Formats: sequence, structure tokens, C-alpha cells
Amino acid sequence: MTADSNRKRLWRASPGLSLIQAWWLPIICILAWWFLSAGSKSFYFPSLETILAVLWRDLTEGPLLSYMWISLANMAAGLVISIVLGVAFGLLIGEFGQLRDALMPMLNFLRSVPPAAIVPLVIVALGTDAAPKIFIIALTCFWPILLNTIDGVRGMTPQLRDTASAFKIPYSLYFRRVLLMAALPQIMAGIRIAVAVALVLMVIGEFFGASEGLGFYINENKQRFAMTETWAGTVLIGFLGYLLSAIFVKIEAFALSWYFQSENAND
Amino acid sequence: MIRPKLQTVKTHENGDGVASKAPPMVVRDLSKSYGSIEVISGLNMHVDPGEIICIVGPSGVGKTTLLRSLSGLMPPTSGSVSVGGKVITQPLEEIGIVFQDYRGSLMPWMRTLENVAFPLQGRGIGKAEREQRAQECLDTVGLSDAGQKYPWELSGGMQQRVAIARALAYDAHILLMDEPFGSLDAQTRLGLEDLVLDLRSRLKISVIVVTHDIDEAVYLADRVVVLAGKPASVVDNVDVDLGMNRDQIKTKSDPRFVEYRNRVLSEIMRVRD
Ligand SMILES: Nc1ncnc2c1ncn2[C@@H]1O[C@H](COP(=O)(O)OP(=O)(O)OP(=O)(O)O)[C@@H](O)[C@H]1O
Ligand SMILES: [Mg+2]
Repeated sequence: MTADSNRKRLWRASPGLSLIQAWWLPIICILAWWFLSAGSKSFYFPSLETILAVLWRDLTEGPLLSYMWISLANMAAGLVISIVLGVAFGLLIGEFGQLRDALMPMLNFLRSVPPAAIVPLVIVALGTDAAPKIFIIALTCFWPILLNTIDGVRGMTPQLRDTASAFKIPYSLYFRRVLLMAALPQIMAGIRIAVAVALVLMVIGEFFGASEGLGFYINENKQRFAMTETWAGTVLIGFLGYLLSAIFVKIEAFALSWYFQSENAND
Repeated sequence: MIRPKLQTVKTHENGDGVASKAPPMVVRDLSKSYGSIEVISGLNMHVDPGEIICIVGPSGVGKTTLLRSLSGLMPPTSGSVSVGGKVITQPLEEIGIVFQDYRGSLMPWMRTLENVAFPLQGRGIGKAEREQRAQECLDTVGLSDAGQKYPWELSGGMQQRVAIARALAYDAHILLMDEPFGSLDAQTRLGLEDLVLDLRSRLKISVIVVTHDIDEAVYLADRVVVLAGKPASVVDNVDVDLGMNRDQIKTKSDPRFVEYRNRVLSEIMRVRD
């Protein structure tokens, strides 16, 4: 444990070193892409330089920036809905065995329906504005969060439950300050999955019956055989994915600092 | 010093004339089965106000089961536990518990002070008041400076004292402790034994301690209750007449201490054979 904390101190002491540690692989990939594709005449594989130039052009002069905000707003709305519902139902189902017995067979059935398969159906049912896109993201992200929350509650040490009943902690307080916190490490793991899934569904949802958004941008340019624009949209989504997961890691480290530190202390 | 309000609560006298605010506890014909297996059968015992009772018995005999029944966490299969003349059906505010596994009973996401104050939040006591009370109870167990630390930053003995402080902050007049010092080193253990004696004489609470350790039982107890048998019942009540002021060295070398210890030990050995 001391060796471990020494190593951590070393990393903290030299931010340059840890930056290299985190970024070397993406940087190498990007450099390789840049040089290997330089001067490419291929219609399907334009050079990274032209892709980035087009990306910059459409971001600053074209509609891409507003598309990006529209897509991210849908994704955020879907994620928030799935987190609120997934955590709330997960805590209830995890805590109450009877609820679990009654609901789990049905939930397992519903969960096995692949989300992409219902996209056309949802669009027919909810129209072509933001609602169906948000719905699909929320529905799909709901599952990993729900199941992780249930697992987190089930994994809580029984002494905490005993402690709460021995000290007559009322349910509202118990759910907020005991169950939720005990399940939080698992919940965060579920949200991490959900964020990755949400990004994919954000794009897929805009392939059909959309008139704006990043998925629309990619799909429309593909249909016009504007390959450089299609690539630019894809690169932008890749970048957003990287950024989102980096932000998520920061949030997780903050929300779970007690957890990571106590894990270290118990080793 | 703690809980000045409580000085006005009506007090109970026990045989030794100690004015205690703890209500008497009476266990009548208590039986407990898990499924078809009866663990405790027809158990009778009582705890007078301000008394320290130690429950000893071999591993697996049903000590934790008994303590959970006394706390109201688990209903008995038959028989009753009454506190102050009322049969209990759920955990009471007068009863505080310190669990066998202190690591698992403190919340790692709350600082020490919050852990101690948390049960008071459940009673709707405001933040300032509950933190003040929690701090007073941390003072009582000698952890004045640990309030802003997390449980996992404390040693085992300190964590166990936090658990005791939490039970005290809750206003427990009856303190139930399940092998509270079992996993601690000898020195810490002796210190905490003296803390329990000290709390009893200062706060006039009743304490029920489950333990494996016969020396610990005799050192702490006004009365040792020996559990044995399958299903378990009380096989002996040993009144320990060593006075209120005990000392780790003097008391333990007192010939009467040795006599009590031998009596408890032989009782356990006899039943085991
Ligand atoms: N929830 C349960 N379900 C079924 N059997 C149980 C349960 N809890 C305890 N038992 C059984 O009841 C008996 C008494 O258990 P208990 O935990 O009360 O013993 P104990 O005296 O506290 O033991 P130890 O000294 O090891 O802590 C044991 O045989 C145990 O296997
Ligand atoms: Mg036990």
C-alpha cells in the first residue's frame, strides 16, 4: 500500500508524465492516420487534413455546431431520464424482494428487445421531432443503470441495513443516504455504460426521420456521396465520445472519492 | 455532561442503589427458530437498570440471535422481550446497538461526526443540534478530534468507539454490544473495556455485552449469563460481586475474580461435555 501511494505521489508530482501516459496511444493513432492518409486521392478515404478542414468549415460556417448542440441536448435529456428512472426503480426493486420477484421476469423479457429494432416503431408512434430520439436513448440506457443499481443494492453489507433499522432511520433518509450511497459505485459503472450507449443511439436515432443533428448530417452527406463531410461528422462523434468519457471519469472520481480511498485503506 | 435534558427523565433504582435512567428489561420464555431448527428455547433473563450483563457461550450457540431478539430487530418465535414493562415488537429509541462487525456498520461515505449524528437526523433533529450532540458523544469516548475523519481513516479500536458514540448519541439507555472487541488487539481491548465501565458509571446506562472471552465477561459484568445447549438456554447466572470500581490489574488478580472465572469456565466446559 505504501509503494502504491508512493507511485501515486510520483504521478501527481509530474503532470507531464501522466499526460503522456493517458494520451500516447490516441496521439500515435492520430499521427499515423494523418501521415498515412496524407495526399490521399481515394474517394472513400480522404486525407485527415481535408477531413479536419471540412470539419472546421462546417463547424464555423455550416450547420454542424448547432447540430451538435441539438444532438447533445437530446442525449443529455435521454440520459437524465434514464438515470432518474433507472436509479429510482433500481433502489426499490433491489430493496424489496417481493417487488423483485414480481417484476424481474417481465423486465428480463423487455430488456432482450434490441433497441435498434424499435427505432422505426418509435418514430411512427412519436413523430420525427426530438421526442422519439430522447425516448430511444432513455429506454436503452435505462437497462444498464437499472440492473447495476439493483446489483449495488443487493451487494450492500447487511450490517448497514441492520444499522438503519436498529436506529429507526426513516425510509426517505435511508434511500437517499444509505442505499443510494452504498449502490453508488455500481450505479456509476452503469452510467458509464449508458453514456457510451447513448452516444451510439443519439446517432442512430437521427438516421431516420430527422432533419437536424449529427446523425442527420452524417446520413445526409453519405446519401449525397459527400465522403469528406461524412468522415468529418464521424470524426466529430469520435472526439465527443472521447471527451464525454474523460468528463465522466472526472465526475466519477469526485463522487466516489470516499470509495476509492477506502478501498485503498482496506488493502 | 451529555444530554442535559435527560436529567429530568424518571429514574429507576436497582439493587445497588444506582440511580439509572435505563428501563428494566425482562425476557420471558424466549424461543427462536430458523425454519425448523430451534436455536433458542425457553430462555429467561432480566437486566436491571444500570446493570452490566455479559452473555457468554460457545460459538454458534445463539448469542447473536439472542441479541438481535433483544434489540427488536428480529421477532422471537415465541415468548417476549419487554422493556419498561412493554413488550417490544420493533427497535426502540432507548436501545442502542454496537454490532459485531464495526467495519460494516459505519458508513464509509460519511465522516465520523456525520456517522454519529445520522440516527438523530432520522428523528428530525436539526443539523446544529445533532452535530453538537454527536461531538459531545465523540468527546465522551475520547475521540474529540476525529469528527472530520472518515471511518476508514481510523484504527479498529477508534471505529468501535465511533460505533459506541453513535449508540450514545441516539440516547440509548440500554446498550447492546455483540462481541464488540473481538477483533481488536489486547491493549485496545482493555482500554475499551474500561470505557464501558466508565460509561456505565457516568451515564447510568444498562449494558449487555456478548463475548467469547471469559476474563472480559467477569471483568465487565455485574452478572454473567451463561448460554449453552442446542437449543440454547441460560444454564447459569453468575453474580459478580467485585464492586463498581474495577482495575485491569488489581481486579483480575483478586482471588474472587479467579473464582468467578473458574465457575463460568467450568459451567461452559460441563455443558460442552
Ligand atoms: N439467519 C439465519 N438463518 C438460519 N440459521 C441461522 C441464521 N443466523 C444464525 N443461524 C444459526 O443459528 C445458530 C446460532 O447463530 P448465532 O449467530 O446466534 O451464534 P453466536 O453464538 O452468535 O455465534 P458466534 O459466537 O460465532 O458469533 C447457528 O447454528 C447458526 O448457524
Ligand atoms: Mg455472534
